[in-house]
Amino acid sequence: MLSFLVRRLNLLVITAFILSILAFAIDRTIMVHHQTQPALQQDYVLQYLSYLWHILSGDFGLSALDQQPLLQRGLTFFASTLELCLVALVFSCIIAIPLGLLAGLFRNTALDYGIMTIAIIGLALPVFWVGVMAVLLPSVWGDILPVDGNMSLVYDVPLVTGFLLIDTLFVTAQYGLFAFFDRVAHLILPASVLSFFLIAEIVRLTRHSMTMVMRSNYIQTAYAKGFSRTKIVFKHALNNALPPIIPQLRLQLSTILSFAMTIEIVFNLNGIGTWLFNSLKTGDYHALPAGMLIITGFILMFSIAIEIAMVIISPIRRGSLYANK
Amino acid sequence: MRLICLLFLIVSLSGCYQNKTLTKNTLIYCTDSQPTSFNPQISDDIASLDATTHQLFNRLVKVDPETNEFVPDLAEHWQQSEDKLRYRFTLRQHVSFHQTDYFTPTRYLNADDILFSFNRMFDHQHPYHTVNNKTVNYFYNHPFTELLSTINKIDEHTVEFVLTKPDVTLLANLAAHYAVIHSAEYAQQLLAEGHPEKIDFKPIGTGPFVFKSFDNNGTIRYKKNKQYWHSVSNIEDLIFFTNPSATKRYTKLLSGECDAISYPAASQLQTISENKQISLNSKSTSNISLLAFNTKAEKISDPRVRQALAQAIDTETISQAVYFQSAMQTDTLLSKQSWAFKPRFNEQLFNPEQAKKELSTTPFNFTQPLQIILPDGANVFNPNFHKTAELIQANLLAIGVNSTIVSLNDNTLQSRLNSGDYDIYLTGINVHIKDPDSIFRPLLSCHSTPETGNTSYWCDAKTQDLLDKSITENNFAQRIKNYYQIQDEVYLQRPYLPIAHVLRLDAISKSILNVEVNPLTGINFQNAIKQDLN
Repeated sequence: MLSFLVRRLNLLVITAFILSILAFAIDRTIMVHHQTQPALQQDYVLQYLSYLWHILSGDFGLSALDQQPLLQRGLTFFASTLELCLVALVFSCIIAIPLGLLAGLFRNTALDYGIMTIAIIGLALPVFWVGVMAVLLPSVWGDILPVDGNMSLVYDVPLVTGFLLIDTLFVTAQYGLFAFFDRVAHLILPASVLSFFLIAEIVRLTRHSMTMVMRSNYIQTAYAKGFSRTKIVFKHALNNALPPIIPQLRLQLSTILSFAMTIEIVFNLNGIGTWLFNSLKTGDYHALPAGMLIITGFILMFSIAIEIAMVIISPIRRGSLYANK
Repeated sequence: MRLICLLFLIVSLSGCYQNKTLTKNTLIYCTDSQPTSFNPQISDDIASLDATTHQLFNRLVKVDPETNEFVPDLAEHWQQSEDKLRYRFTLRQHVSFHQTDYFTPTRYLNADDILFSFNRMFDHQHPYHTVNNKTVNYFYNHPFTELLSTINKIDEHTVEFVLTKPDVTLLANLAAHYAVIHSAEYAQQLLAEGHPEKIDFKPIGTGPFVFKSFDNNGTIRYKKNKQYWHSVSNIEDLIFFTNPSATKRYTKLLSGECDAISYPAASQLQTISENKQISLNSKSTSNISLLAFNTKAEKISDPRVRQALAQAIDTETISQAVYFQSAMQTDTLLSKQSWAFKPRFNEQLFNPEQAKKELSTTPFNFTQPLQIILPDGANVFNPNFHKTAELIQANLLAIGVNSTIVSLNDNTLQSRLNSGDYDIYLTGINVHIKDPDSIFRPLLSCHSTPETGNTSYWCDAKTQDLLDKSITENNFAQRIKNYYQIQDEVYLQRPYLPIAHVLRLDAISKSILNVEVNPLTGINFQNAIKQDLN
């Protein structure tokens, strides 16, 4: 177990090292081209070491606009992006997993083709286009759902965690649950748009996984024993069909994040995408390496955490613990 | 299945997310840009004025919007001395400054606050004079510093303004946006804390609203000033929200998420004016959208070339195609309402044939394309810079002149302007007081830089002389004559081609009453009332 952890963390350290060099390079290029700070008369290795030290101690520099620490700012915005991604993930799991299971169970039937056609269309539609179309919806159907902003300005929600769904629960004394529902209402459209892509992906994965499971020997045995189809599916197949989807979804994480960033710009949400975009526009270039480090850092840690969790929960994967021994 | 039920429950519950009792006393104004600071003394962009002048501050005198006369604000009354050099103002008593979490006033407004507010601007030794740096550029262009000799404190509630020479514009200047009154006590506190720069970003004033917060997403929150010396506002919470997209602002106005919006899209004015729930407020301003010819650029340094190019550009079509009804086409820098405006009858500038002919008599090199630079996006001067540039490009091509369009963001634009590496620049200028000098000086003075307005790099001894003479000229008729000459000079030398005078437009929901918009000092929500239309 220990050697496995060391191997995994080794990978993390090496990737993080490369990323920090990349961030350092961007940072210095900005410094040289935009003369945001006086040039340092030091060689690059020393400069890099001091840069690394600053990052490790949580000092990502200050925003050129209002002298606020970039790390804190970036994390607040990133929390909002994550919230959008999570809600979208929940949305799409609720819709896509049953669909995928059905498609897998009734493979090569009209139902399967129908579901897969919808999934493929979802995969083919560009997310930003769907976003723009969704923004137009309220003007067609009357104002059912808000299309702009994180939440209504009437509510002044102080920043606690950065996750507005949680933060709004802290102000129930003042606003009741209205602030929370307002936030939910503001999330529905962007999250549905983001889940468009996710649904397509999850349907595909679930269908594949379900087909594989249904073909396996123990299912055949169960049939042979005379178990009903319902019992087989719910008791035996489901438990084994779902876990393999998780590591596959992990690979989609960076795609989901980048789609979320695009959607934020379309829906004018205050997430990390809008933040970086605005920083570019206003010339606050030091936000770029900071944003990059926050996003990549999160993806790195998250994928390694999932990998370790998978090893712990799935016996088959535990084999990799003893690999190369 | 349970999850699906939960999902539908959440969706249906959020249908009632709008809380009527909360929104009743909250007014949300959606603007196109963020203020650069919260002090109209140092920021003169429209967003800053809207967010500050009437909301946070008071001035000694103000202009009555109906009669156009000067009426008392913080000054109860005033008298003029015999020699017209001294104005004595008696201050209102028991006026308290805002109480916030960062400042608690211990005394009422007195003469020290007046002295502090004005001395900061015009006393170069004042500890606050160079705070936030911008004063250096700004006051250069201002007649106020020339006007005043000194300000004396007579007693706690009386101040005396001593002029350098008799000048009737003092009251107009005191009613302008930059004459707002700050708290001297707050300034002292900030100096002691070592953060004098906060005075312009965490403001303390005497106005009807108290500053609460400003976040980096462009949301400004104000609370009602319960200790306001005049009638207390009906609005509990005033919120300014910045969204650069005019369409989004309009959508939010329709959905009730904004109660008023600034600068609706020019292309939607027709639709907005037909909507019975919304009133469209338009005010003519002296703000002008113009095209600057870089007179230092080699290709167009010859005035005949500039003249010919100006003749080729069809400003009429531009104002119709880009501005719709949001601006009035013009061929002079001054607006028609100005007393120094020189009318030009029977002169049609647009004449492409003539332009082509004249251009061929000059040594203009047709093979080299002209470079047109412009800001990316839109601002109050121009709803669509790029479309304007394309129309100009087509006009120029009609007389055989090639051009390239370069859109630049604010950051790169400024350094490009300073480097002078461009031929034509699409821009505009804000005007803050009704004096021709406030438009001519930034545009035409040799001392003005591209940053302060002179984007044509125009420097001419004759114009400079006329400019300088005019501000000290006592004879009004002569002053008008001087400005006529300047306008003729601009017409002949063509450092600028005026395109249109821009209207100030605000779309306000019919449920909001009594919003006053002053084209010079900004929007005023002090007397606003929000009704329930349902």
